[in-house]
Amino acid sequence: MEQFFNVTGNLLEGFGQNCIIFAVTLVAAIPLGLIVSFGSRSKCLPIKSITRTIVWIIRGTPLMLQLFVVFYIPSLVWGISFDRMTAALIAFVINYAAYFSEIFRGGIEAIPKEQYEAGQVLGMKKSQIFFKIVLLQVVKRITAPMSNEIITLVKDTSLARVIMVPEILKGAERFTMQGLIWPLFYTGVFFLLFSGLLSILFKFIEKKLSYYEG
Amino acid sequence: MSYLNVENLKKSFGRNEVLKNISFSLDKGEVLSIIGSSGSGKTTLLRCLNFLERADSGKITVGDKVVFDGADEKNKSEAEIRKNRLRFGLVFQSFNLFPQYKVINNITLAPTLAAKEQLKTNGEYMGVKSLKEAQQLINQNAEMLLEKVNLLEKKDEYPCNLSGGQKQRVAIARALALNPDVLCFDEPTSALDPELTGEVLNVIRELKDADSTMIVVTHEIDFAKNVSDKIIFMDEGVIAEQGSPEKVIDNPSNERVKAFLSKVKNS
Repeated sequence: MEQFFNVTGNLLEGFGQNCIIFAVTLVAAIPLGLIVSFGSRSKCLPIKSITRTIVWIIRGTPLMLQLFVVFYIPSLVWGISFDRMTAALIAFVINYAAYFSEIFRGGIEAIPKEQYEAGQVLGMKKSQIFFKIVLLQVVKRITAPMSNEIITLVKDTSLARVIMVPEILKGAERFTMQGLIWPLFYTGVFFLLFSGLLSILFKFIEKKLSYYEG
Repeated sequence: MSYLNVENLKKSFGRNEVLKNISFSLDKGEVLSIIGSSGSGKTTLLRCLNFLERADSGKITVGDKVVFDGADEKNKSEAEIRKNRLRFGLVFQSFNLFPQYKVINNITLAPTLAAKEQLKTNGEYMGVKSLKEAQQLINQNAEMLLEKVNLLEKKDEYPCNLSGGQKQRVAIARALALNPDVLCFDEPTSALDPELTGEVLNVIRELKDADSTMIVVTHEIDFAKNVSDKIIFMDEGVIAEQGSPEKVIDNPSNERVKAFLSKVKNS
C-alpha cells in the first residue's frame, strides 16, 4: 500500500509536467493558430504560400522530430540552448498551432459569404463582422474537431520524454528500471481521467452552443 | 432632378460585361421594380448600389450627395465607403439573419455598434450622450419596427425557430433600423414557399404607403405591377424598357419584354 502511494505521488509529480505542457500549448496555440489561419487565407500570395508551406512542414513531420529539432538545432547552430521544458513548449505550441490553424481555416471558410455581406450592408467594419457575427458561428462549428485535437494533445504530452522532460511516462520508466513494471501501465489511468474530464467539458460546451441552429 | 440618380453604371467580371451603361432615376417615395430573366444583371445592379460590388464606372447620386463616382472611387477611405453604403439598405433573397442572435438583437446589433462609434468620435448619437440612453433608443426603435412587420411577439426567438416569411420580415426590420434613404430588395420572396410570399409582399406594400423609397428586384410580375411607380426591364446588361407599369407590363414595345412576360404569365 505504501508502495502504491509512493508510486502515485511520483507519477502525479510527472503528470504535473504533462499538465504544464498541455495548458501552455492550449493557451498559446489557439491564438497563434488563429493568426496562422489568417495567414493561410491571406490575399497576399507570398504570405499565403509561406504560411501554407510552414503548415505543411509542421503537419508533415513527426512531433517527436520537431522536439529534437527545437532542442538540439539552436545550440548546434547558434550556441544558444533552451532548457528542456522550454524546448518542449516551443515545439508543442508550433505543432499544435499548425493543426489548429487548419481547423480554424475550415471553420471560417464554412461560414457562408452572405453572413459577411449582411454585416457589410449594415455598415459594419471587417473586424466587427468577424468578432460579432462570424466568430461564434466558427466556434460552434469547430467544437467537435477541436475536442478531438485537444484530447490528442493530452496524450501527446508524453512525447516530451524524448528530450528528457521528466513527465509521467519518464517517471514510470524509472520504476521499470528498478524492476517495478505496473506503474508503467498505471499511467494510463491518469490520461484516461484527464481526457474523460475534457470530454465532459466539451459535451457541456456543445450543449451551451446548441441554443441556436445554423 | 430626381432623388436617386444612376448614371452610366458599368460593371464587368473579367471579360463578361454584366452591366452595360445603366442609367435611371427615381423620385423620393417612389417604388421601382426591376424585372428580367436570370443573368440579365438585376442582382448585380442592386449589389453595385449597395457596394457589395464596386462598379467600374458611372455615378450614383442620392439627394444632392454623390455616393459613388467611378472616377475617384479609389481615393475613398474605407470609412467613407461605409458611410455612403448606409444610404442604401439591402434585403437578401436568403434573409441572412445572424443565427446566434435573438430576433431583437439581429436588429439592434448594427445600430448599437454605430452608436458606440459615434459616441466615441462625436460624443453624441441621435441627441443622446451615453451608451445606455442610445441603447434604449435603439431598442425602442427595434420594437417599433418589429411591431410594424407584425413580429413583436417573436422578439426573443432565435431565427432558427421562425418560418421563412417571418425571417424575411425580420430582415426587413433589420434593414430599416439603419434608416436607409433607399431600401433595396433582392428577390425577397424567391426563397419562400408560395403561401408565405404574401406576408412579405404586404410588408413592402405598407412601406410604400409610408413613403419609403424602394427598389425591388422581383419575379412577382403582378406585385410589381400593383406596387411600383416605375418598372425597369433588364436584358443582357442593358435596360431594355423602362417606364410606368402600364407601359412596361401592359403595353410593352420591346420584343424581349413581350416574350418574357408571356413566359412568366403562362407559368
